[in-house]
Amino acid sequence: MSSHTASSSNGGNGSGDSGVPKRNSKRPKYSKFTQQELPACKPILTPRWVVSTFMLIAIVFIPIGIACLIGSRDVVEVVERYETECIPVLNRTNTVQFIQSDADKTCNISMTIPKRMKQPIYVYYQLDNFYQNHRRYVKSRSDEQLKSASKENDTSACKPEDIANGRGAIVPCGLIAWSLFNDTYSFSRQNQSLTVNKKGIAWKSDKQKRFGKNVFPKNFQGGGLVGGATLNESIPLNEQEDLMVWMRTAALPTFRKLYGKIEVDLEEKEVINVTLMNYYNTYSFNGKKKLVLSTTSWIGGRNDFLGIAYLTVGMISFALSMGFTIVYFVKPRRLGDPTFLSWNRGPGSH
Amino acid sequence: MSGERENVRGSRSRPSRDSSSGPRISSQSVILGRVQPQAPGNRTIYCNDRDANLPVRFKGNSISTTKYNFFTFFPKGMFEQFRRVANCYFLMISILSMTPISPVNPVTNVVPLTLVLLVSLIKEAFEDWKRFQNDMVVNNTLIDVLQDEKWVAVPWKKLQVGDIVRVKQDGFFPADLLFLASTNADGVCYIETANLDGETNLKIRKALERTWDYLTPEKAAEFKGEVQCEQPNNSLYTFTGNLIFQKQTLPLSPNQILLRGCSLRNTEYIVGAVVFTGHETKVMMNSMNVPSKRSTLERKLDKLILALFGTLFMMCLIGAIGSGIFINQKYYYLGLDKGVAAEFNPSNRFVVAALTFFTLITLYSTVIPISLYVSIEMIKFIQSTQFINKDLHMYHAETNTPALARTSNLNEELGQVEYIFSDKTGTLTRNLMEFFKCSIGGEVYGSGVTEIEKGAAQRNGIKIQELRKSATAIQEKGFNFDDHRLMRGAWRNEPNSDTCKEFFRCLAICHTVLPEGDESPEKITYQAASPDEAALVTAAKNFGFFFYRRTHTMIHVRESCVEKMGKIQDVAYEILNVLEFNSTRKRQSVVCRYPNGRLVLYCKGADTVIYERLASGNDDLKKVNRAHLEQFGSAGLRTLCLAYRELSPETYESWNEKFIQAKSSLRGRETKLDEVAELIEKDLILIGSTAIEDKLQEGVPACIETLSRAGIKVWVLTGDQMGTAINIAYACNLINNEMKQFIISSETDAIREVENRGDQVEIACFIKEEVKKQLKKCLEEAQHYLHSAPGPKLTLVIDGKCLMYALDPTLRVMLLNLSLNCTSVVCCRVSPLQKAQVTSMVKKGARKITLSIGDGANDVSMIQAAHIGIGISGLEGMQAVMASDFAIAQFRYLTDLLLVHGRWSYLRICKVIAYFFYKNLTFTLTQFWFTFQTGFSGQRFYDDWFQSLYNVIFTALPVIIVGLFDKDVSASLSKRYPELYKEGIRDAFFKWRVVVTWACFSVYQSLVFYHFAITSSASGKNSSGRMLGQWDISTMAFTCVVITVNLRLLMICNSITRWHYISVGGSILAWFMFIFVYSVLRENVFFVIYVLMSTFYFYLTVLLVPIVALFGDFIYLGIQRWFFPYDYQIVQEIHRHELDDNTSAGSLEVGRQRTAQEEGNPLPREISRHTGFAFDSPGFESFFAAQLGIYAPQKAWDVARRASMKSKPKMPQRN
Repeated sequence: MSSHTASSSNGGNGSGDSGVPKRNSKRPKYSKFTQQELPACKPILTPRWVVSTFMLIAIVFIPIGIACLIGSRDVVEVVERYETECIPVLNRTNTVQFIQSDADKTCNISMTIPKRMKQPIYVYYQLDNFYQNHRRYVKSRSDEQLKSASKENDTSACKPEDIANGRGAIVPCGLIAWSLFNDTYSFSRQNQSLTVNKKGIAWKSDKQKRFGKNVFPKNFQGGGLVGGATLNESIPLNEQEDLMVWMRTAALPTFRKLYGKIEVDLEEKEVINVTLMNYYNTYSFNGKKKLVLSTTSWIGGRNDFLGIAYLTVGMISFALSMGFTIVYFVKPRRLGDPTFLSWNRGPGSH
Repeated sequence: MSGERENVRGSRSRPSRDSSSGPRISSQSVILGRVQPQAPGNRTIYCNDRDANLPVRFKGNSISTTKYNFFTFFPKGMFEQFRRVANCYFLMISILSMTPISPVNPVTNVVPLTLVLLVSLIKEAFEDWKRFQNDMVVNNTLIDVLQDEKWVAVPWKKLQVGDIVRVKQDGFFPADLLFLASTNADGVCYIETANLDGETNLKIRKALERTWDYLTPEKAAEFKGEVQCEQPNNSLYTFTGNLIFQKQTLPLSPNQILLRGCSLRNTEYIVGAVVFTGHETKVMMNSMNVPSKRSTLERKLDKLILALFGTLFMMCLIGAIGSGIFINQKYYYLGLDKGVAAEFNPSNRFVVAALTFFTLITLYSTVIPISLYVSIEMIKFIQSTQFINKDLHMYHAETNTPALARTSNLNEELGQVEYIFSDKTGTLTRNLMEFFKCSIGGEVYGSGVTEIEKGAAQRNGIKIQELRKSATAIQEKGFNFDDHRLMRGAWRNEPNSDTCKEFFRCLAICHTVLPEGDESPEKITYQAASPDEAALVTAAKNFGFFFYRRTHTMIHVRESCVEKMGKIQDVAYEILNVLEFNSTRKRQSVVCRYPNGRLVLYCKGADTVIYERLASGNDDLKKVNRAHLEQFGSAGLRTLCLAYRELSPETYESWNEKFIQAKSSLRGRETKLDEVAELIEKDLILIGSTAIEDKLQEGVPACIETLSRAGIKVWVLTGDQMGTAINIAYACNLINNEMKQFIISSETDAIREVENRGDQVEIACFIKEEVKKQLKKCLEEAQHYLHSAPGPKLTLVIDGKCLMYALDPTLRVMLLNLSLNCTSVVCCRVSPLQKAQVTSMVKKGARKITLSIGDGANDVSMIQAAHIGIGISGLEGMQAVMASDFAIAQFRYLTDLLLVHGRWSYLRICKVIAYFFYKNLTFTLTQFWFTFQTGFSGQRFYDDWFQSLYNVIFTALPVIIVGLFDKDVSASLSKRYPELYKEGIRDAFFKWRVVVTWACFSVYQSLVFYHFAITSSASGKNSSGRMLGQWDISTMAFTCVVITVNLRLLMICNSITRWHYISVGGSILAWFMFIFVYSVLRENVFFVIYVLMSTFYFYLTVLLVPIVALFGDFIYLGIQRWFFPYDYQIVQEIHRHELDDNTSAGSLEVGRQRTAQEEGNPLPREISRHTGFAFDSPGFESFFAAQLGIYAPQKAWDVARRASMKSKPKMPQRN
């Protein structure tokens, strides 16, 4: 027994190998899994790795950031806020009353094009303080009903806009549809009107799958209080693109929605006259309204954020990689220096 | 006289006898005569008469250790599951989510809960099934039962109370039996109780004389007795009852009871009547439910969960207050005016807030990681069943025993152990004494190198060359000696051959060993009370002085080569007197007469007592011999000095008179005998000394050294005497001569004096005062040493009696203070209860994580008291293993168990917990930020199914892979740098600081996810100018979350196997697969992923967000590693170029590096003042006491046969 060396680690292993395994041996079978010897790569975050990772990020991100910024800067965007302007001065103290009255709400504003805009020019409206993402609001719809005519009475989620008094289900039901935005805009330049193409503003998937082509509006806005726009009952839902856009609820209380497209180029310094019908009530909750004209580039609308983010991250990475390199030279630490082991640092300094 | 022997034997039985005597029904309470009704205290059994026993409906003999049966499985299993707070919480959330106030679909919470429950139940079912199969094997074991005058083999489970059974040799008793007859003469049988108490010495049971005849089936069929006995109870050592037989009442004692779980030895077969069956047997009543232990980490995890609950509460509160403030009729588009539900009714904001609170709880429920517990459970289950149980490093080939994790709860606890409490016998040592060296007449013989010497040499960087065994080397049980100068008569050529002769004769004559078996050197076995004795006689045999027969007055020795080379002669020595060994005398003498009339007194004993009694002169020999003793002692050997004295017949006669007088005195006989012995044991002539190796288990010193480098303190708690304990502590490297020893012993003159007065109260007071004084002194001294840098290491040695007082609440603090300052503590002569007390003192008092390791029944209490209990399996009984959490075959496997498995497990579980915490917090916080922009309405950000599958699919598998495979450094490095273990003791990876760091990054990341995703709603996202809706944005955010969280996992990995890649890649892929399918099916997320993928913006975001999110973590990790590296990181770096596990080349180099500082002061091992004293094994005194006055009969009933590794046939372990 004592002839064995005191090799504690391999004792069991070695002696087990020497003997031919007996039939009823309880010796565990060798496998890489059970012996925890699976091949593995062992990354060590050495300073070289840190520096090169940051460098790599910088190299990749800065160009992307520049590209994004350029893409975003290509976009021309004109924003016109009009909710106050479009209330007659007399009524500005009591805006809610005005908007709910039958008074004429036509309003003319003009917008100056700062820079040549290439068609297509997208017309958006932007609302503010409008909680399309409120829990009560979000679920107040019936996707079944929108899709197929046979599910017309599937309105359980739509309260309180589910059933018109005595006339059956409302199609489309629910608060979302009910509060459909109903300001309208018509554009002209030099008294020559510009057509706004309202086709193709909704996502294709909405048009083809989500909104049924034989579902027609019914009893819509028939209740005591009219929330927003009415719908032409002879046009099936899958062609009511305004509704589709509206019903793709926004994530934030400030949101923009596509209104239409102007398919001619607008020149620099050109003044566009907008005749708008200011029907929609945002005055109850002090919501702003904005009209936006914007072109797009490959990255979409005007959006510096992404570009700036990329650039910032790229720059910081670059700075960090420089910083780490300097530290590397100023205060080097030999890899695997045993003096860094806590038990080697001496008893006094633990 | 024989009655006295009974008593002595009784007192040797286990200490727990005293503890069990409390509730025991005194034997007087058994009413004699026919007792008709089954009084609560009695049971009446009609032997061999099933019909008569029928009305009483005794329990059957089948046992079931399963937790559930087919019908109770579901309800009981569910109940067990819902005892977990987390599951209850999720049940509550699930119920809440069914109500209309919930923003989420019930599936969100029901799906994960169901999955979690399902996995847990399957695991329970699997474990229970294994238990069931085990039971089936036991229940279906066959046993011979008497039926119609024949032995019929029936399964155990069919056995009934009152049946007559036959148990054959080496068979297990199927139930508690009344012993009726045996094939041995005198109606005795030998049983082994290893399964009950871990003792492997055979015990004797003796049937009542009246029943001896009922051995054959024909005869046994006639047996009609009636047993009246106590009701089943769990006291193993008591039994009270009567056998009413042939109109006589015969009292029964434990001597007639054969307990289930024991096995029959050295007896062809026995016949017995079944008394207790199945769960009513004593062993089953004793099988305590091992209290389920929870790991400290898990308890800390509870605190973390509690903190998360706090976070949840705060988040909900903020949301609720916000909702109360927000809700207003002015938001007409929300339809808040006509008959709106209470949860949105602006006219009662308080109700709105209250209901929103619950809404938000369901929404944020993901902050509590539901799958955490089940994941951890799975990880630990695989760790224990696949890694620990199957580790080849912990497989012991000799006993064919792999390691066994009996619970999977404590894996990570193994990585944080700071105190180890170890039993001695059978745990540190093999309980195997071997004659190793000797010093005869000033010359050392024997060339072996002990474990401790090897260890010391290794520490000093000296490579020990393993000496080739010479041809004369003999290695047998008890003898491991190699020196050609002494073997085969070669001693005749030694200069001191006469001394050699005396030496060998002393060994062959001065003992009380009984030879057994054939009178040939090869076949004879020696029965001795202490393995030391047997080793010495075996040594004599090998030197050519073969002791082969003992009669009342004679010892027969076959001596070879005495007169001339090769001549063999039988010599009979007349034994005139035996002067017994006891702990005060510490020596033993024999007066013998040679055939030629020469009278010699041979004496062997501890060096101290022998030297006191040596004749003056010959100082050189004394000095040399003393030096040898010290040399042996420092090598961890147990020493004895041998001496002799020639007696003249006159001296002897006059002394013998006094001796006979003393022996026949009735009062104070032992003291008188001692006094008489003093008269003749003087003027001794020193022969030499023996050195016996108390064979340590292989690798114990190295293991202890490794453990101590790992910052683990090892305490030895043993029932042995102080000398033995210290000896072993030396041998194991726990104590060495550089250490300052504090010895608190009750064996002082002052205490003995008080004890002799016999006043219990006075003794108690006095000892307590004494102990207090001692403790105070030691503590002051210890503090002094601590302040003086670099003070010596401290050790404390304390004996059981002092410990009893030191554990008193008033002194406990002092004891704790002192012992925590010591690097090692040895407690000797401690009872099992005290072992447990010491353990829990450290566990509760110092709040350190403790581990107890032991092999016998006396260690059970300690094993259960500690955080982790470890049983030594493979050799002795099963009791310790049954009570333990882990069972290993050898002490040295602790290195693997703690430093490798424990450390990894701790590391992994910490990572898993931290990661779970992080990923759920991050996810939930994105929801929380969204709440602020939805008017605090509790609108969900993500789709229901995203939320429910987040925990169970998209992020579940990789973390389990980390929990299984992550390793910072390889197993061999873990053992080479034991100091790495200290990180676990310090709990470096699961401190609040770590958690807070994770939480900070969680907050940062969630802000990044939310804001980066949400800004995309500001403008059109592709050239078609169309806008994204809420679900588009949340899907994009979710994609980023899944990718980031999975990548973050890779960043915490120390080793990345292909399973990591597969699981991480698979999880991300699973998300995309899921969303591709799901977005076609579901309305609100209809086609979102396709819409998103039609935009550049999506790809840019998916590239940007994870990198921005992980930016902070990356910098943190870089800086941490660079400036504040963990130890394991340095070790990784040192060995960065090495492949896994082929580190033998590098080990030398590092070994040098480590010991560099030690080389400065080489350990002065040679000068040791410690000499081991071999002669104090437990049971030794009683053995001699048993022999007192009367010569032992041929049958060695009292002889304790100690464990031997080879002789015991391996039996399948049942129960």
